[in-house]
Amino acid sequence: MNSIAQQFRHTNPAHEAFQDNDNEFFESGVDLKMAPSITVPPISQPTEFLRAHTDDASNPDCKIKIAHGTTTLAFRFKEGIIVAVDSRATAGDWIASQTVNKVIRINPFLLGTMAGGAADCQYWETWLGTQCRLHELREKERISVAAASKILGNLVYQYKGMGLSMGTMVCGFTKKEGPTIYYVDSDGSRLKGDMFCVGSGQTFAYGVLDSNYKWDLSVEDALYLGKRSILAAQHRDAYSGGSINLYHVTESGWVYHGNFDFDDTFWKVKASEGSFNNVDA
Amino acid sequence: MAGLSFDNHQRNQFLSAKGFGSPKATSTGTTIVGVKFEGGVVIAADTRATSGPIVADKNCEKLHRLSPTIWCAGAGTAADTEMVTQLIGSNLELHAMSTERKPRVVTALTMLKQHLFKYQGHIGAYLIVGGVDPTGAHLFSIHAHGSTDIGFYQSLGSGSLAAMAVLESNWKEGLTKEEAMKLCTEAIEAGIWNDLGSGSNVDLCVMEVGKDAQLYRNYLKPNVREAKVKSYKFARGTTAVLKESIYNLVDIEETVVPMEVDTEA
Amino acid sequence: MSVTSAVSSDYNSGVSNVPIEHQFNPYSDNGGTVLGIAGEDFAILAGDTRHTTGYSINSRYEPKVFSVGDELLITANGFAADGDALVKRFRNQLKWYHFDHKKNLTIKSAARFIQHLLYGKRFFPYYVHTIIAGLDEEGKGAVYSFDPVGSYEREQCRAGGGAASLIMPFLDNQVNFKNQMDPDSNGTAKKELKYLKLDEVISLVRDAFSSATERHINVGDGLEILIVTKDGVRTEYYPLKKD
Repeated sequence: MNSIAQQFRHTNPAHEAFQDNDNEFFESGVDLKMAPSITVPPISQPTEFLRAHTDDASNPDCKIKIAHGTTTLAFRFKEGIIVAVDSRATAGDWIASQTVNKVIRINPFLLGTMAGGAADCQYWETWLGTQCRLHELREKERISVAAASKILGNLVYQYKGMGLSMGTMVCGFTKKEGPTIYYVDSDGSRLKGDMFCVGSGQTFAYGVLDSNYKWDLSVEDALYLGKRSILAAQHRDAYSGGSINLYHVTESGWVYHGNFDFDDTFWKVKASEGSFNNVDA
Repeated sequence: MAGLSFDNHQRNQFLSAKGFGSPKATSTGTTIVGVKFEGGVVIAADTRATSGPIVADKNCEKLHRLSPTIWCAGAGTAADTEMVTQLIGSNLELHAMSTERKPRVVTALTMLKQHLFKYQGHIGAYLIVGGVDPTGAHLFSIHAHGSTDIGFYQSLGSGSLAAMAVLESNWKEGLTKEEAMKLCTEAIEAGIWNDLGSGSNVDLCVMEVGKDAQLYRNYLKPNVREAKVKSYKFARGTTAVLKESIYNLVDIEETVVPMEVDTEA
Repeated sequence: MSVTSAVSSDYNSGVSNVPIEHQFNPYSDNGGTVLGIAGEDFAILAGDTRHTTGYSINSRYEPKVFSVGDELLITANGFAADGDALVKRFRNQLKWYHFDHKKNLTIKSAARFIQHLLYGKRFFPYYVHTIIAGLDEEGKGAVYSFDPVGSYEREQCRAGGGAASLIMPFLDNQVNFKNQMDPDSNGTAKKELKYLKLDEVISLVRDAFSSATERHINVGDGLEILIVTKDGVRTEYYPLKKD
């Protein structure tokens, strides 16, 4: 089985030698057993180089702007887990996209959310999907949320200090764990919890979520609360917006509850709740 | 207090260290030239003003009047060339009135260079000064730090190399007015096509001894925009209506006031 | 750069007590702008043909949109050397894919593969905005766009490069009808989305580029539009202003 797994590694020497030997750059210094190899510039301080060219917070004039800015949330309740996210991608002060998919479907029972570097999250969470599948093949059993999140946590920890930027929630339902959320970030934190909001709009989302959350929420009310929390964040955080993607994780896997345009939702909620009175018309 | 004020120097240094750079001024890219001919001088400029990679103005004026017979083409910071040129223009007029003589090009040159030198290059004006006065026709260039140059032909700005290439290969002694105008136009055109900081049209100013200067605004327009393929006129009702309210701003009312009529004789 | 270095000004003596640091800078910007739009049964990828550094034009005709076979179009706009390297690597791997599997590469798989090419240089990125266009498995037009390190998304339309910020709002309005209401509803109902026809799309692209040329100094000279339909790839060229 491990020889099959071996084929899924990018560093398979046989493949590499024949197919893509035009890459004369140095390979990443860290030897990562499970990870594909990543090119590093041939200089003494690669991290400094990367910061100078890609970190728009420390250098606003940097040429490569990497997508940042988000609001994502997930919370546990009686009927499972609600996952809600916005869909805006920003690069500096430019709105790169309003239609980003920030929930990565790792498998029918696992969801990963995306905050921070879009590519980092997208890449490593799809990679996590393959690792989870390999676990299933090896162990003849679905992977636990704890194990899945730990694979991701260990991976990003190996890259610590090299500039990865991720704040993610791994959400899933297994027989032995029940509905479970793990928060994993690129600093190396891995926390189990009942409720997380992640991203530049997290405080706005927490504000709504904390004041309306109850464990005994009905599915309908819980979905609305998730949606309403993201809406509040999109309203106040310039780096969040676009639309809302809603998910409900149950014991039989996740259920997608649709995409809701911010503008439509906003006016609808304002009219029905009589809220957002700071906005007229 | 005499001298320069550095009140904000430390603050600005601190601000830029914190990542708040100074605001970006319009235009550094430009092509300007000047060529002397028998009995006069002609200066010319392109009409593009840029802010970084964005074209801020497609048809700006870079030819400034210092006096009726002395004109000046400006490159560098748009606001600086405009203001320094107006200031010296005014002072030149005052000077002419107090001396009761027509202003001379060397006077304008001296006033400009002394002003610019005083500001140590912080006034980002790069100028080509041309004109005629009782002593004849003159052509000079001035850099922002205050240095000046004299010659039969000059070019300045980001397109100066393209323009100078034309000037160096086609200039000859004893040009006629028409030849000088053509040479200037071609030099500016070289800048328009080959320098990204320059573009659009050619402005030209001819100064002949004994005559008032002649400004040829948009002497050549080689960059007229073609018509768009599609029309983008929005149908009435395209704009979202969030609320509608109608106010009666004028109240029309009719009242009858009985008038007292004086019945006494 | 060292933060402890003395405050520099035009008035200091020029004598410095801190070592001069030189930074490794392998990047430059070769300007240009690109644009991809997906229709119902076609997709287009367009780019201007000007190649620049600073205020200089290196070439007035240097194509940067390529048809790489399997009815796939690709462009990687930004730093041209990185873009060329990326396209070259993609072409090479596509050839191997044909040898190994004896079938066409779907645009979906091409997109995922490009993510791996880009992310493979996560710590030494390709300074490019990549867009690919083609037809999906159902024959519908598809456009995928990527950030420099490989995050990607399928979209209806996308502008990339220097004038993206000028063109993208125009596309939002004219392709996805953003901020447009149905005129018959008197400004109360959104204008319904519909697929644009090929000639409409080409009109939009030409106007987008001629307008970008007016206001962006790195855009101009020529416009090359590559069109994919079920019948193959076709190229159209329109001159742009050269100033």
